[in-house]
Amino acid sequence: MAQTKRKSRDGGGGDKAKGKRGKPGGKKQKGADARERKGPRLPNVLRKEVERLNPIEDEEIDSDEAEVYGRDFYEYEEELPEEEKRKNRRFDPVENLEYQLPEEFEDENVSSDDDDNDMGDAGEDEDEDEDDDDDDDDGRQGIARIPAFEGKKKRNTNVVVSEAYPESEYNPTRDTLDGEGPVNIEDLLNPLHGKSGYSKLRKRIHHLEKKSVPTPAPLPKADQEKLERMAAHEKSKEELQKWEPIIKRNREAPTIYFDDDMDLRSSRASDFKPRTEFEKKIASLVYDDQVKDAHLKDGSRLLELNKVSAEDERDRHNRMAKMRSLLFRHEMKSKHIKKIKSKTYHRLLKKDRVKATSVQSQMDPDTAKELAMKQEYERAKERMTLRHKGTSKWTKRIKERGIDVQDEGTRAAIAEQQHLHAQLTRKMNSMKDGSSSSSSDDSSDEDDIDVYSPGSDHARAVKLLEKAKEKTRNVLKDDDENEVPNSGVLSLPFMVRGLKKRNEAAAEEAKLALQEYESWSNPLEDSSGADNLNVGPPSGRMVFNGSKKNAPESSNKTKTGNKMRTDNYYANSDSEDDLEPEENVDVENDRSSDFHKDVNISTALLHEDSQNHKDSLFKNFGDIVQDPGPKTTHEVSIFASGSWKKIKSSNSADANGKKSTCRLESVERNQNLQEPVEDLDEDSDADSEGQMVDGILSSNPKDEYRLPSQAELIRQAFAADDVEDEFEKEKQEVLNEENPEPEKPTLLPGWGQWTHVQKKKGLPSWMQKEHEDAKKKREETLKKRKDAHLKRVIISEKLDKKAEKLFTKTLPYPFTSKEVFEQSIRMPLGPEFNPASAVGALNRPEVMKRPGVIIRPVEFEEVNPQGKVEDHKQIGKKQKKRNQSNKSRSSSDKIVTKVKTKLKS
Amino acid sequence: MLSTFSVSRILFPNIQSLGILTPKLLNLGPYTLDFTSSGRHMAVGGRKGHLAIVDMKTMGLIKEFQVRETVRDVVFLHNDLFFAAAQKSMANILMTGRYPYIYNRDGTELHCLKEHGAVLRLQFLKNHFLLASINNFGQLHYQDVTMGEMVGSYRTGIGRTDAMQVNPYNGVVALGQSLGTVSMWKPTSSAPLLRLLCHKGPVSAIAFHPNGHLMATAGKERKIKLWDLRKLGDEPLQTLPGNAKTLDFSQKGLLACQLGNGSSVQILRDLDGNQTYKTYMNHGMVKGFQIEKLLFRPYEDVLGIGHSMGWSSILIPGAGEPNFDTLVANPFETSKQRRESEVHSLLDKLPAETIMLDPAKIGTLKPERKKEKPTKQEKVAGIEAAVEVVKAIKLKKKTKGRSKPSKRTIKKKELIAKAKSPFLAQEMKEEEQVARKKQKTIEYVETPTSLLRFVRKKATA
Repeated sequence: MAQTKRKSRDGGGGDKAKGKRGKPGGKKQKGADARERKGPRLPNVLRKEVERLNPIEDEEIDSDEAEVYGRDFYEYEEELPEEEKRKNRRFDPVENLEYQLPEEFEDENVSSDDDDNDMGDAGEDEDEDEDDDDDDDDGRQGIARIPAFEGKKKRNTNVVVSEAYPESEYNPTRDTLDGEGPVNIEDLLNPLHGKSGYSKLRKRIHHLEKKSVPTPAPLPKADQEKLERMAAHEKSKEELQKWEPIIKRNREAPTIYFDDDMDLRSSRASDFKPRTEFEKKIASLVYDDQVKDAHLKDGSRLLELNKVSAEDERDRHNRMAKMRSLLFRHEMKSKHIKKIKSKTYHRLLKKDRVKATSVQSQMDPDTAKELAMKQEYERAKERMTLRHKGTSKWTKRIKERGIDVQDEGTRAAIAEQQHLHAQLTRKMNSMKDGSSSSSSDDSSDEDDIDVYSPGSDHARAVKLLEKAKEKTRNVLKDDDENEVPNSGVLSLPFMVRGLKKRNEAAAEEAKLALQEYESWSNPLEDSSGADNLNVGPPSGRMVFNGSKKNAPESSNKTKTGNKMRTDNYYANSDSEDDLEPEENVDVENDRSSDFHKDVNISTALLHEDSQNHKDSLFKNFGDIVQDPGPKTTHEVSIFASGSWKKIKSSNSADANGKKSTCRLESVERNQNLQEPVEDLDEDSDADSEGQMVDGILSSNPKDEYRLPSQAELIRQAFAADDVEDEFEKEKQEVLNEENPEPEKPTLLPGWGQWTHVQKKKGLPSWMQKEHEDAKKKREETLKKRKDAHLKRVIISEKLDKKAEKLFTKTLPYPFTSKEVFEQSIRMPLGPEFNPASAVGALNRPEVMKRPGVIIRPVEFEEVNPQGKVEDHKQIGKKQKKRNQSNKSRSSSDKIVTKVKTKLKS
Repeated sequence: MLSTFSVSRILFPNIQSLGILTPKLLNLGPYTLDFTSSGRHMAVGGRKGHLAIVDMKTMGLIKEFQVRETVRDVVFLHNDLFFAAAQKSMANILMTGRYPYIYNRDGTELHCLKEHGAVLRLQFLKNHFLLASINNFGQLHYQDVTMGEMVGSYRTGIGRTDAMQVNPYNGVVALGQSLGTVSMWKPTSSAPLLRLLCHKGPVSAIAFHPNGHLMATAGKERKIKLWDLRKLGDEPLQTLPGNAKTLDFSQKGLLACQLGNGSSVQILRDLDGNQTYKTYMNHGMVKGFQIEKLLFRPYEDVLGIGHSMGWSSILIPGAGEPNFDTLVANPFETSKQRRESEVHSLLDKLPAETIMLDPAKIGTLKPERKKEKPTKQEKVAGIEAAVEVVKAIKLKKKTKGRSKPSKRTIKKKELIAKAKSPFLAQEMKEEEQVARKKQKTIEYVETPTSLLRFVRKKATA
């Protein structure tokens, strides 16, 4: 409609322009020029025809305008003579006007501010500007132009106006047309006075008059949005701030109760009110008076009510029959369709079906929503798991340059890659589920076991042996566990037999190996045990035994001698132990010495020896122990003598050195000397029964009990003086273990030593410096140790990994210092340590809630932000509470800061 | 001499009624003892295989039996129903019957704890339900008696020792050493927590005050020393003369120690409360009685003495805690209460990790690790710093096209890569280690069942 209107007007305009053509002067001439160049050349007759037609059209549309045009048209008709030139090109301008005008008009717009101001007016208006010299339809335009083109006024002096129309803005008065009394905006506005929108228009005009600065171009969209977001944030912040006091109160409250405004009635069945239609229907049926009555009275009435009329039944029957027939038809139809073998038909059918579903999904908001949700979920999930693992050069480059700079295709490719990666990872995840791995624990356990080794060869050897044993045992076990396969070649009988045989042989071998290990490890263990004891100098009884002869040469005692003595010591300390420790110790002793000297003396032989000598020694025993005193006295005296003899024997062993035969003898002798001890014990068991009783009844221990001499006692006390040195060494070891000494810097031999000059230089300075630094650091740490100033104390500073879970990982929020926190947790919470009134408050949970209570969202209420929370609990509780609230607060803070940063960016 | 109350009961008090006064049994000593935490029951172990449980209220024998093995130590478990005995067979050297056993009160052997080896001393940690033992090779074992799990097994490396005592305050086990050192152990660490050089000679006995702050040690060099465990120093609080083979603190802090050559008992008391112990009482046994074990009876003013001739008890006024807390230990416990308390104590069982020198530290801030692995962030920061340094280097302007932009970028990249490489290498190394460890564990499990048929059988021999 508008289109046609414009066209028609254009046509009209063009004709008007023709009228203007002869006149000199700005706008009209311009329009005329355009017309001149492009306008179609019409024969006069034809043109007249057109002119006659057009106004009619206009009139049909807008009578007012038509009138005006009509009048103008007449005016311009008079200046026709110059038109003859352009008659040839009469059709062009029409076309051109259509297409070129918008461009032209834009240019004009930029130059003249008018159009910016009348934003409300449509393009229609502007079109008119182009060719209408008669701008009266819009007063402003008129005013803008009229003073500019003086020529028009002059021209208009000749104008003859027939006052056929009422005076209006479209029909200017004579004065105006003559140019007398310039038309200003007031003139144009006045007639509008009192109309709706007048004040608005006036305001706008005032505004225009005041400042006619060009309106700045709108901000870029991003900036605009940013501003909007900022404003929105301000608003939302304000909105949120009013909640702060409430939240603060809730957070600081030691306990939140959810039971005081409890309202269970709403959920009670009796208060149920039917709301939906269905519910109402049901309710009307259920609460029907008749039914109620029937229920109350008896069942027969119910039956009556249950009666169905014959009509209803017939209806139902008919309905069912109809449904059935429908179903049958449908079935038949589907059968028929199924029979059709045409593929295209089916394809089309399928296509239709798909289309239908898609249409349905589009039409039905629920399904559409569901679909969208599903897709969204899918995408979110993908995004979560998406990890791009671009390792190719291309992707790397792209990444380096930034994906944002890339064009659409590249981005898509990257996305594709990422998608692929995601898929792969998903697949991987689905492939392997929960691989069990607690290797670290295992290793630590191993470490635990291995960490403490005495560091001697024995320890290592023992360990090795143990390992070997373990392995053989494992093999044995494996053998046992190895089952014969049920199928395959291996299940054939002869194969099975062969396997079994092999397994047996292997087991035999393993057992043998195990025994061998056992035999090796026994002496090793003994010696190791002895060694451990021997680290320090002999003490107590031991010294007392070996005092006279061995004191000077204590430093270079042979191993065997040492061992014997230590063993003696323990034997003595164990004196009441039992019979065989002595023997045991000795045999072990011998075995160990054998082991060291590669002489194989079978234990059996030793046993034989011991047995042989037993008898003789049994006799000797009588000499040694003469007085029948209490048992203890026996022991003491005998041990004294026994050990003395032992020492002697061991010395002889030392002297014999490597001569195995001689040593064997000495061992035997040794054995002999040991025997009395055992025998004595046995004997004392047998003999001293009677004496025991005597001892209790009449004890005269003075003469039996021989006190060690004073000198011996002193020696006993101070013999092991260098335990301190030993301890010192031990401490050093521990320190080295816990804070290892820095390694000495070394160069590869020959490295950097081309000449003797280089050699002289020695290590490079940075190496030395590093070493020095490391040393210094170590010393510092050593100084910080708790036992730094204590000579006789070693406090381990190793951290127990297993106990780590018993400690607090980080300092909880309100606390700033460790000490304060540790002080605070010292207060016990239990009922044993607190008055009954305080226990409840101390241990009350943070949220008190009864089952069945509906927790409603927080409602807004005025809270005095300065008001303190009533019912303060004790410190410990509060702090605990605060810790919790802190967590939530920090998270909320995080969100807030996130939002802020977003806004800023 | 203040040997006032010497209610010495030699051997079992109502021997006649029990019919065990046979001369042969007299030689089964020396005896070692243990009381339940309530003091109601006593377990007695004769060195030569005599085990017995006595109800101390009625002085009646509940059960006695002969195990025909050397008994080194007896200890009650959490209540009087079970007790453990460290035994060693006497018959043959080569026979290896040297394990601790757990019996019930009827003398039925319930468990043989073979893993412990030839145990010399046993201790039971009541709150943790751990049975601790030290064997003749100096191996310390901790076994959880609830589930039977071996919680810790360590080679102490201190050699053979039979001085072992649990600190009742924190559950730390102290071991005496032949070199005069006392070392303290916990079940979750293979190294001692504390080593203290106490004596010049071998340590023969250790005792802890019930509050856990005071330790008494006896050395073979005839000295008894008292140590403050809260403030460890080079010098002891007090040094007393005495060659004690056994020491014990009473609930009220009296210290009983053996005197002289083993047949007299001295009771010391901290009269002023400033940790200076002075002689309170002396008790002389019949000469020749070797005292094996001194043990105060909880909640009673009685000191039990296990000696070579049996067991005696003497009255020591002010030794025991007069007010017992039935929630802790009830001497008048009925069987129902006992069952109840057993369940409670099991529920309140402390994990083995809670054993530490200062249990008050539990819940405090985690001590800083000295050599903690750098976190991922730190690693990244390190790399970044290195890269920054490299980036800051300005390349020299060179001629002949060596300063072409392309060359420069290449050079820069190289430098950056060079700066990064040590970090990356380090990371790789660590990863490799982790992977290796993982592989070790997985190796055996890894092959899927479908491929098992292709796996070569391990060589059997």
